[in-house]
Amino acid sequence: MSKANAINYKKGKEPHAREYRLVFKNVDRKGWDPGIDCYLQDGGYRELKKALLMDPVDITEDVKKSGLRGRGGAGFPTGVKWGFIPPNNTKPVYLICNADESEPGTFKDRYIIHQDPHQLLEGMIISCFATGANLAYIYIREEFPEGARILEKAIEECHQKGFLGKNILKSKFDLEIFVHRGAGAYICGEETGLIESLEGKRPYPRIKPPYFPAALGLYMCPTIVNNVESLCNVKHIIAMGGDAFAKLGTARNTGTRVLCVSGDVVNPGYFEVEVGHITMGELIHDLCGGLKPGRKLKAVIPGGSSAKVLRAGEKFKIKKGDQEIEIGIEDIPMDFDTLMACGSMAGSGGVIVIDDSRKASWILNNINEFYAHESCGQCTPCREGSLWMKKITDRITRGEASPDDVETLESVAFNIDGKTICAFGEACAWPTESFVAKFREEFLADTSEKYDDAILNPETELAAAHLSSET
Amino acid sequence: MIQAKTERIAYIDGVPHEYEGGDTLLNFIDRHHGRGQVPTLCDAPQLEPYGACRVCSVEIAQAEDGPRRVVASCHTPIADGMHIFTESKKVRRLRRNIVELVLTDHPLDCLTCEVNGNCELQTVAAKVGIRDVRYPAGKNHLDRAKDLDAAYMTSDLSKCINCNRCVRACDEIQGQFVLSMHGRGFDARIIKGLDESFKDSDCVSCGACAQACPTSAISDIFASKSIEATESTRTVCTYCGVGCNLEVKTKGNEILSITAPVDAEVNHAHTCLKGRYAFKFYNHPDRLRTPLIRHNGHFEEATWDQAYDYIAKRLTEIGKENGPDSIAGISSARCTNEENYLMQKFIRAVIGTHNIDCCARVCHSPTAYGMQQSFGTGAATNSIDDLDHTECILIIGANPTEGHPVTGARIKQKVMKGTPLIVIDPREIELTPYATHHLQLRPGTNIAMLNMFAHYILESGFADEEFAKARCEDWEEFKAKLRALDLDALEKITGVEKEKVKAAAIEYAKATAAMSFHGLGVTEHSQGAKTVMYIANLAMMTGNIGRPGVGVNPLRGQNNVQGAADMGCQPHQGAGYLPVEDPENIKLFEEFYGRPTSTAAGMKIPQMFEAATKGDLKALWLMGEDVVQTDPNSEFVADAMNSLEFLVVQEIFMTVTAQFADVILPAASFLEKSGTFTNGERRVQRVQETIEPLEGTKPDGQIIVDIMNRMGYEQPDYTPEGVLAEMAEVIWFFKGATWENLGEQGKQWPIREGGVDTKILHTEKFRRGLGKFHYFEFEESKELEAHGSEFPYILTTGRLLEQYNCGTMTRRTNNTKIVGEDLLAIHPKDAKKKGIESGDRVRLHSARGEVFMHAKVSREVKPGILYTTFHFPELMVNKLTSHVHDAETMCPEYKVTAVDVEKVAPDAGKAGAEIVPKKAAVTQ
Ligand SMILES: Cc1cc2nc3c(=O)[nH]c(=O)nc-3n(C[C@H](O)[C@H](O)[C@H](O)COP(=O)(O)O)c2cc1C
Ligand code: SF4
Ligand code: SF4
Ligand code: SF4
Ligand code: SF4
Ligand code: FES
Repeated sequence: MSKANAINYKKGKEPHAREYRLVFKNVDRKGWDPGIDCYLQDGGYRELKKALLMDPVDITEDVKKSGLRGRGGAGFPTGVKWGFIPPNNTKPVYLICNADESEPGTFKDRYIIHQDPHQLLEGMIISCFATGANLAYIYIREEFPEGARILEKAIEECHQKGFLGKNILKSKFDLEIFVHRGAGAYICGEETGLIESLEGKRPYPRIKPPYFPAALGLYMCPTIVNNVESLCNVKHIIAMGGDAFAKLGTARNTGTRVLCVSGDVVNPGYFEVEVGHITMGELIHDLCGGLKPGRKLKAVIPGGSSAKVLRAGEKFKIKKGDQEIEIGIEDIPMDFDTLMACGSMAGSGGVIVIDDSRKASWILNNINEFYAHESCGQCTPCREGSLWMKKITDRITRGEASPDDVETLESVAFNIDGKTICAFGEACAWPTESFVAKFREEFLADTSEKYDDAILNPETELAAAHLSSET
Repeated sequence: MIQAKTERIAYIDGVPHEYEGGDTLLNFIDRHHGRGQVPTLCDAPQLEPYGACRVCSVEIAQAEDGPRRVVASCHTPIADGMHIFTESKKVRRLRRNIVELVLTDHPLDCLTCEVNGNCELQTVAAKVGIRDVRYPAGKNHLDRAKDLDAAYMTSDLSKCINCNRCVRACDEIQGQFVLSMHGRGFDARIIKGLDESFKDSDCVSCGACAQACPTSAISDIFASKSIEATESTRTVCTYCGVGCNLEVKTKGNEILSITAPVDAEVNHAHTCLKGRYAFKFYNHPDRLRTPLIRHNGHFEEATWDQAYDYIAKRLTEIGKENGPDSIAGISSARCTNEENYLMQKFIRAVIGTHNIDCCARVCHSPTAYGMQQSFGTGAATNSIDDLDHTECILIIGANPTEGHPVTGARIKQKVMKGTPLIVIDPREIELTPYATHHLQLRPGTNIAMLNMFAHYILESGFADEEFAKARCEDWEEFKAKLRALDLDALEKITGVEKEKVKAAAIEYAKATAAMSFHGLGVTEHSQGAKTVMYIANLAMMTGNIGRPGVGVNPLRGQNNVQGAADMGCQPHQGAGYLPVEDPENIKLFEEFYGRPTSTAAGMKIPQMFEAATKGDLKALWLMGEDVVQTDPNSEFVADAMNSLEFLVVQEIFMTVTAQFADVILPAASFLEKSGTFTNGERRVQRVQETIEPLEGTKPDGQIIVDIMNRMGYEQPDYTPEGVLAEMAEVIWFFKGATWENLGEQGKQWPIREGGVDTKILHTEKFRRGLGKFHYFEFEESKELEAHGSEFPYILTTGRLLEQYNCGTMTRRTNNTKIVGEDLLAIHPKDAKKKGIESGDRVRLHSARGEVFMHAKVSREVKPGILYTTFHFPELMVNKLTSHVHDAETMCPEYKVTAVDVEKVAPDAGKAGAEIVPKKAAVTQ
């Protein structure tokens, strides 16, 4: 918890001066390795020792005070979530670290796991102590085999040092942490799908109500699911105290956030900044070195591929104090509430920058392809609708769509949004809803009335024709 | 105006209604507007809410004009003062759009679809007003192959709408986990097992998935969701003692299919393959359709009058010449209460003897006797529904998933949700992998095992002293005996480590409510009745009596074995378990029946056979029992049949035993008659005629009434209602039973005046006053003592899910396509020693006979133990079984036979397995 310049980083990987490195403090640090000795030399596990002397209730209170909001996507206050464990609960409590990191455009958790696994473990052990969990899992996506090995080794080291196992540091607190590897599906990141998967089942998300994880989670016991970055923050809350943590960032949008920028910028990458302290324009132009030469900003997807797109030139009404003001895309401060007020969300922190060389329909089709592939298939609107959205955008990109298709596309999206078991419904509908609303002219321009009456069968006749014309 | 907030009121489209705690929006709307007001696709009443199709969406708001939200009504709980809008423009559009999407991938060939007119998709599409589909045809799944090879289950997954109801039915109801969804998104599709056919999968053909599927995507060979049938009749399954309710669909006098009523308390939309699918025996060409009289060794067709006259004449002659005790009757646990009641009345009042018994003798007579000794009532103390309240399940000598499949499935569900299960059984059964403890004892050592069990309950301090002292007698004596036990010796006898027994005993004793189930693995032993009393000991010493979720619960084998005993088809007790030698009862019977009554108890079945071979028993009347195939030591039973002067058999098929008869009377099957069956939880349920009796046959009750009339004992016209009314006069625990008030769900006896029934027995005190502790010592089976050294293996027998007893009915259905022969299970070690491999033909022999069969090498048995089933007459396993029986009740020791086994040539023993009746052989 120091300003970035106090520590030496690897050459070419130095943090930008406007960054505030907290959870990414040790990422790319010179001479740093993921072993426990390195971590201990840097004062590691000091917060654990401190926390074990505290009353678990006070830790939860501190986390509440810190204002920490979940970094996994929904931005739900972490302390409040912990408080949902039923007070008279007699069942075991589980804690799960969500390391499925699969939202397109998001690449932060993997760096923590690869380079600083003990920070995560320390955060987890403290969180388990606070919530009364004696068994915790790290659910890591299949595509991170190296990350899983690193975590397993780190857990082993913790056992040797007495940070895990029975009677941790003579506190009478027992904890085991297991690494569980996912099986390669986006839906395994949704917390109830993740829980089903952990139980060895197909990761079908559960209906809520009644299956809110804090009450009926893993094996129908109270379960806390938190993102990697959220859990790391717990360590820093203990270090500085909830009140001090809450002073980072802005009110209701506290702490720091790792933003992952991808797309049409000169220097894409990760940047840890105080929440709300920089604007979208500063992020693109200062931290990321601006757009590619000669390009103009077309749009930004600010919080992972499911967040609604923001169009350059759009005007957004936000509240400043008691006043309502109008701002442009580059003036948006990167925090939860403002992005929400602008009709999108901070989501998982994945910022996708789009310049004017891209076609809106091409981008949307790319996104739709992902969601059509990843829908778990449980809910009718999502299963059938995600595929139809993809089919229609596919047709549009090939120039074989009728103007009516655009309307149909939109109606399919509205049909999914809010009408499904899990938030994947919104995740897959919002891109379509927002792209069509904001780039309607562009979409329509790619369609032609000559296709109005044609019985289109993209998989057969026209597609075949299309393919043969390509070869 | 009703006040909201305090009164549990919510509004459906502006109209206030009262709701119930735990209601979902859908339950609530269904209750007030009927099912179907809100369309549904993925919801089914027998399944947990699922919330996936979203066609049940409604809008809700906290105030009439407050902000609205769209939610799925099937899983959203109701809240006070909530406003529900079921038909807003928004939800109507949403529903239409969803169904439209479904239809883009559904063949529109409704007119030729088997569920046309009863398809939920069709109904929902019509209800939401689909007129066309906006999406141009695209990729679809219309070309999926059909799966039509299995004995019963079929699938045509081009009709699948991915609602997952079948998967959930298989998981939540049957617990078989055969079906799953494979792939994701649009490629998601139903698979069976590891993507195989129904036939190759682990499917047990329970049909729950077919019933749950809203379309014809999963169905059965009887197209049971079609609307072709013109009538539907509710009745009760005739196979096992679970007593599942069935809905039999008929057209004219033909049965088209059977389904399970969703509201049935016993089986909640579930059955096993026997109840649902094994009905095709009913019009099988082999059915007996005319009375047959033996003339010169041959059966000749006769009229009913001829047959009755002949029987009346012969029975009168034999009675006159040799006295009434030279005549006996064996009644049937497959027949109705009314028929059993009439049968014993006929033998007692018309013939004048107590020589009446039934097949309970060979299965649960030790249960009835043992529980009477301990508690005062020989029936299950609790109900199957108590499974919902129990904290620990103990299964002794029973294999519920095969023998009592619907109860077995419920036990499995309960155990999968975390309730500890203890299995005491010599064999690995389907439930053992789910069990917390499996005590795999040597067959025949139940008493030794339960002694250890009881000892450890006491020793660990988990006994309920208070209960045992206040409500039972002989507790102190019992404790003293338990303390004195030599546990090392018992460990050796049972072959199960002490520590394992101790852990299981503690598990049972420390549960706040523990429930035991037992089966024929308890009763069919020389210490059968004693073991039953011991199970009662366990319940009493832990206070597991008279509350929800506890008790001693025999899994009664046959559909009406409880009823047959209740009705007095026992030689020592008349209807209602009244001892026949008690002068007061004698007076009562004489007054009631207007005939003098014999004052001495009659013969039990084994005594009858003994008497026949000695020439003391001259005539026997068998109602629906194949004693030669099913009673132990077949050659001996055949001898007895051959020795009789006169044998009358009432049957639906020409069984092995029927071939010995002098007169065969063709009876109607359960599908063709009315009456009541009493299931294993004392539930008296109405059996209703679904079609008229097959031409030429009569219901068994009618036959008995006819013969009583013919023999000069005038009876009113036979109606089940009438007989039930008479039963209610004699049997105290039927006092309040009438045909009317039994209703759809039946009633559990004691049924008091006004029809008040009883779910749990012995709540305040035991029927016999104080519960009685009994201590017994283990005794080695006489069979093993006598023949154990010569025949070093122990054979134990049991049943399979797919076949029922001697298979008279199930062998005449497609069930035989699934299981077509009895196999011998042998442990790999023994198999190696004997050079036997799976599929080899083996000769199995005991001190009494030999049989030939195929072997199956399996770890389900321990070394030294062999296991087989007794369903097929080609095999006649009971040629091997012994004469040894339970000391108190003469229930045969089927479960322990000393045998040896060898590998033989593939065609050995193929000819000459049959037992041929003498009467036929002599004259042919
Ligand atoms: C379709 C879908 C995918 C998700 N994937 C992830 C993920 O990969 N990682 C993650 O941390 N949260 C993911 N989430 C969010 C989780 O459900 C959950 O809200 C989060 O792990 C809670 O942690 P937090 O409170 O610390 O943010 C996903 C949610 C949805 C609906
Ligand atoms: S919304 Fe989509 S991903 Fe989520 S449960 Fe439903 S079908 Fe699966
Ligand atoms: S018939 Fe029964 S066991 Fe077979 S798949 Fe269907 S539900 Fe499962
Ligand atoms: S087979 Fe039937 S029950 Fe199963 S998912 Fe398909 S439509 Fe639903
Ligand atoms: S055999 Fe038993 S379990 Fe099967 S349907 Fe009949 S009563 Fe039910
Ligand atoms: S019936 Fe409610 S979502 Fe399917």
